Amino acid sequence: MNAHRVLAITRRLLQQFRRDRRTLGLLFGAPLVILGLLYFLFRGSGPNPAIGVVNLDQGPLGAAVASRLEASSGVDNGRLDADTAAARLKDGRLAGYVVLPADFSLSAARDGVIRPQIHVEGSQPGQSAAVVQAVSRALAGTAASQLGSSGIRAPVVEPAVSYLYGGPSLDTLDYFGGAFVGLVVFFLVFVITCVSFLRERSQGTLERLMASPLRRVEIVVGYMLGFTLLALAQAVEVIVFALAVLKIHNSGNVLLIFGIETLLALAAVNLGIFLSMFARTEFQAVQFIPLVIAPQLLLSGIVFPVSSEPGWMQAISNVLPLTYAANGLHDVMLKGADLGWSAIQLDIGVVLAFCLLAVVAAAATLRRRVA
Amino acid sequence: MREASDGALAVEVDGVVKNFGRIRALDGVQLAVRQGEVFGLLGPNGSGKTTLIRCMVGLVVPDAGTVTVLGRRLPDLGVLSRVGYMTQAAALYPDLSVLENLRFFAAISGGDRHVNEALEFVELADRRHSVVATLSGGMRTRASLACAIVHRPELLLLDEPTVGIDPLLRAQLWGRFREMTESGTTIIVSSHVMDEAARCDRLGLILFGRLLAEGSVAELLSIARTDRLEDAFLKLSQVESR
Repeated sequence: MNAHRVLAITRRLLQQFRRDRRTLGLLFGAPLVILGLLYFLFRGSGPNPAIGVVNLDQGPLGAAVASRLEASSGVDNGRLDADTAAARLKDGRLAGYVVLPADFSLSAARDGVIRPQIHVEGSQPGQSAAVVQAVSRALAGTAASQLGSSGIRAPVVEPAVSYLYGGPSLDTLDYFGGAFVGLVVFFLVFVITCVSFLRERSQGTLERLMASPLRRVEIVVGYMLGFTLLALAQAVEVIVFALAVLKIHNSGNVLLIFGIETLLALAAVNLGIFLSMFARTEFQAVQFIPLVIAPQLLLSGIVFPVSSEPGWMQAISNVLPLTYAANGLHDVMLKGADLGWSAIQLDIGVVLAFCLLAVVAAAATLRRRVA
Repeated sequence: MREASDGALAVEVDGVVKNFGRIRALDGVQLAVRQGEVFGLLGPNGSGKTTLIRCMVGLVVPDAGTVTVLGRRLPDLGVLSRVGYMTQAAALYPDLSVLENLRFFAAISGGDRHVNEALEFVELADRRHSVVATLSGGMRTRASLACAIVHRPELLLLDEPTVGIDPLLRAQLWGRFREMTESGTTIIVSSHVMDEAARCDRLGLILFGRLLAEGSVAELLSIARTDRLEDAFLKLSQVESR
């Protein structure tokens, strides 16, 4: 081995990178961005899940526990009646509520057991756990101090947890599967479109297209249709595999899932075409993966619910198309949402608007970017 | 030497200026190409030939001046269906067959009635089902030419079509170009090869983005008072750089 020759290769490699500012930026910038996002997702103090209290107990313990719960840091919603609490749980304003039943004091004095009923929204496993944990902690402390001072031994807390959606029968894949189905389609369609469109430029054929009577928007729409057909076939395959083979839980309409997947694929195709305008080589196109996919994976509510993010981060999440698609798939598959739900209408509307925006942007950028 | 059919102009370039950053690629080019002639754009590498041709198909928008093609002032998408353009490298889809490439380019230029004729014209009829990636360089050039003429353009722009082509195929291609002008097509061909220039009806000598001289081979030789085109080009470029 000749050290001189080896070093020649090393030097050449570093020289090449020195001229490729974008790659350097990615190499040194992307890790900080991604780790920074993770820091805020895991350590950032998002708002506590909103928890309500419904006290049906006539005895003294119910009132004491209720006021302790209201005062505790994990519970930031006032005393409600059962109907209001149920309605707020459904429209998403509450993550959960606790009901202190009519025999709450009686059962504590007679059996030494308190049985609060905890109702959780249930479509986010992390959030459900946080609600149960916050309530149990507040209850245990309160009951102990309340009863301990009056000489009665501390009662056993046996909460009964009920789920509006999902429930203990669902596993992690059931909760995250829907959104991941969307992510997989988005990711692959984006990469393939981006690289294929770039190839059109690098092999010189785009120059020929631009010297033909073709309009720019015809090129973009033609590409969109072609890749969308491929993406639709892929969406069918992915959905069948997810539902029939992997048995991911679905309480909604399969056609609606397919519809959202289709829109998401359209968005990915157009984003791919648009971003390919900003890459000179396939190497640079591949670099869009960490820039486009990683933030969306972290911020679209696929793994971490958007509602648990710090406020400024939610603002970013709220402009990402994948946030809406993932939310739509999640609502359909876990909550059985249909087109009548305003949340689903919003999700579909935003993804559709994003598609149109990307078509226009891609067509507008095309002229200036013929190699 | 053929006379242009009726003196009408196929392409008129008037005072075209194009800058790329600080580099001036075209510096007030004035040029008139008559219908039915083979017009050669002759100049060294980097002289502005390709930029000028790209101006004629609307790929480059001049900073100043006008380009009129087949009576239509650019930009005009409609006139492009009457223009054929063969890029410097054989720009084809390598993973499609020759026939599939031809059909595609025919369809985007309006109609695919002449696919078979184009295949016969470049003598690739027996390789029509071959995938382009498997063809030799010469075959690719022929396939690329076929794609440029499949819609029967009235004006054909060829950007260094014979670079890297063996002499036999070069002679064959020039025979084809001549056949096309006989049926009324106007051809503009760029080259830096002098023996090719001699085959053109008229020539434009281009250097540093400017047209040094324009005329038939005989006219250029008499202007430069020499009997070799190569010497004429060198003499005229020295005048310019003085």
